[in-house]
Amino acid sequence: MEPLIQVKDLCKVYNPGENAVHALDHVDLTVEKGEFVAIIGQSGSGKSTLMNMLGCLDVPSSGSYYLNGVNVATMHDNELSVIRNREIGFIFQGFNLIQNLTALENVELPLIYRGVDRKTRKKLASDSLKRVGLEKRMSHKPSEMSGGQQQRVAIARAIAARPPVILADEPTGNLDSASSREIMQILKEMHRDGKTIILITHDDGIAASARRVVRIMDGRIESDVQNPDYS
Amino acid sequence: MSNLLEYVKMAIHNIMANKGRSFLTMLGIIIGIASVIMIMSVGQGTTNQMNAEIDTAGAGQIQVMCSNDAMNAGEYITPEDMEALTQQVPGVEAVAPGSGYTGATSTGKGEFSLSLTGTTQDQPMFSTSQIKRGHYFTAADVEEARKVCVISDQDAKRLFGSDDVVGMDIDVECNNVSKSYTIVGVTQQPENGTFVTYTYEGMPVYIDVPYTSLQEFDDSYDEFYYVVVLADQEADASAVSDQVVKVLDARHQSEGEDYFQVQSFQDIMELLNTMMGAVTGFISFVAGISLLVGGIGVMNIMLVSVTERTREIGIRKSLGAKTSSIMAQFLAESAILTVLGGFIGIILGFLGAYGICGILSSTQGMEISPGFTIPMVLGATLFSCAVGIFFGIYPARKAARLSPIEALRRN
Repeated sequence: MEPLIQVKDLCKVYNPGENAVHALDHVDLTVEKGEFVAIIGQSGSGKSTLMNMLGCLDVPSSGSYYLNGVNVATMHDNELSVIRNREIGFIFQGFNLIQNLTALENVELPLIYRGVDRKTRKKLASDSLKRVGLEKRMSHKPSEMSGGQQQRVAIARAIAARPPVILADEPTGNLDSASSREIMQILKEMHRDGKTIILITHDDGIAASARRVVRIMDGRIESDVQNPDYS
Repeated sequence: MSNLLEYVKMAIHNIMANKGRSFLTMLGIIIGIASVIMIMSVGQGTTNQMNAEIDTAGAGQIQVMCSNDAMNAGEYITPEDMEALTQQVPGVEAVAPGSGYTGATSTGKGEFSLSLTGTTQDQPMFSTSQIKRGHYFTAADVEEARKVCVISDQDAKRLFGSDDVVGMDIDVECNNVSKSYTIVGVTQQPENGTFVTYTYEGMPVYIDVPYTSLQEFDDSYDEFYYVVVLADQEADASAVSDQVVKVLDARHQSEGEDYFQVQSFQDIMELLNTMMGAVTGFISFVAGISLLVGGIGVMNIMLVSVTERTREIGIRKSLGAKTSSIMAQFLAESAILTVLGGFIGIILGFLGAYGICGILSSTQGMEISPGFTIPMVLGATLFSCAVGIFFGIYPARKAARLSPIEALRRN
């Protein structure tokens, strides 16, 4: 079976020319379906760039990226939108909820862009919110919720459209330790349910939750090991 | 675009979430549409009123004039010509001469200038004014050139302080000849209209007299350079006009000389309508400029909104919104804003038009009611929608083209 994610010889160069910055330097990475991978690196290591590539938010300067068997490295803006919508669920550090929408409406957004009808959409969105334990907060606006609750709404949004890949960028970066544990617990549960999870972090403690840890430095993969402590 | 309804909902959601700003954005459009509607409906109302007045005053009337060439050649319309027109042209009901003379008279109330209209007993058919006292002069009066006259109640009051003047005499001085005319009838002057019948102080006193009686003042009293033909309401005015010219040309052997010129009230009405239309159109155009400014206002606010909502756009894009989805959402927002502004503007324009007409009625004595037409309302709505879409395109494109990482990075 072909891997879910297959990155080959991926490069990203900013400011090509004299002051070129090689944010990603010939990266190879393969992620099988159902894996829980942490990508860890300091700021400036290239992990954010890699996350943008993996999330189809940006296109590489060179190399190939096969997602579910399709090379997305050469795709255009609108094609990438479709791929993001179908294949990837994002969880951001800053939650990135839309402030004037309720929790339910926020979770509905990816389903709207997929063209799911209203009734199905409401059902899928409320199922997702129940899944993260927010069935009582559906009509709350983000400003009426704690950070942990907001991040759970974001997780509900990420899983609502049932994408195969969950891409979490520092999901606990803005949270206290209790909320962080909660969020990591949910991610682990989702992994057990069969989701492929890619966690981007600078925090070894957080990375320790993942089964596999990929360490990135200066745009290169420095190490790629199975986590012996994974439980 | 199957999701259009969703984008419209998003747009409405966002407009409702920013009510104050949305209203300010609409304000330019509201003022623009309101002024256009107001001007157009007052203009339309004025035109309607004018047409109604001309219609009652002059429906079916055709003016026949002798050209300068005809007068130089000594050709005028004669009483025999008038007789021939009535007899020979189908559709002609009456012909009245309109020879005007100016004179003067003095009464106990002072000196007055006098405008004499020499005409026939058929004159009442051309006028909407009713006889109030006495009667109009008769065919016999005309035939025997009796010195009798008909005056309006208003003018009678000016001359004598009363309109109970039947049987009284007016001393008419004209061309250095002085004759006494007996008043046989008093007409009821129509209420002051707006355009056609409007009297003011210092206007001459008008009297109608048998044209034959004017021979006392002028030898060429029976040579008319101007007559009015009354055509049957059912008859085609232009066909009757053609016939009138043909008969006159035949009688004066002037085929091809262009001696006789006709103008029906229909022509005059069309001319007036064209003029009113042009004036209204021009003012509306000026008001339309304010719509343009309103549209630019919408564009500015939308641009600010795009900048403020960069992060939201990034979030939406990361969740799978396409360029077209973002574009549709922002376009829907500006279109809804302007259409809503258009609606409010139409209503305010209506109210404003009623207000202006009310003020005109109470201060100027002009009875105008605003004339609203469906095309006016439809046009205003479509135009404001077009303004919204046109001025929404640039901000919407700007929003839609944001790269998701750029947009997400910004706070």
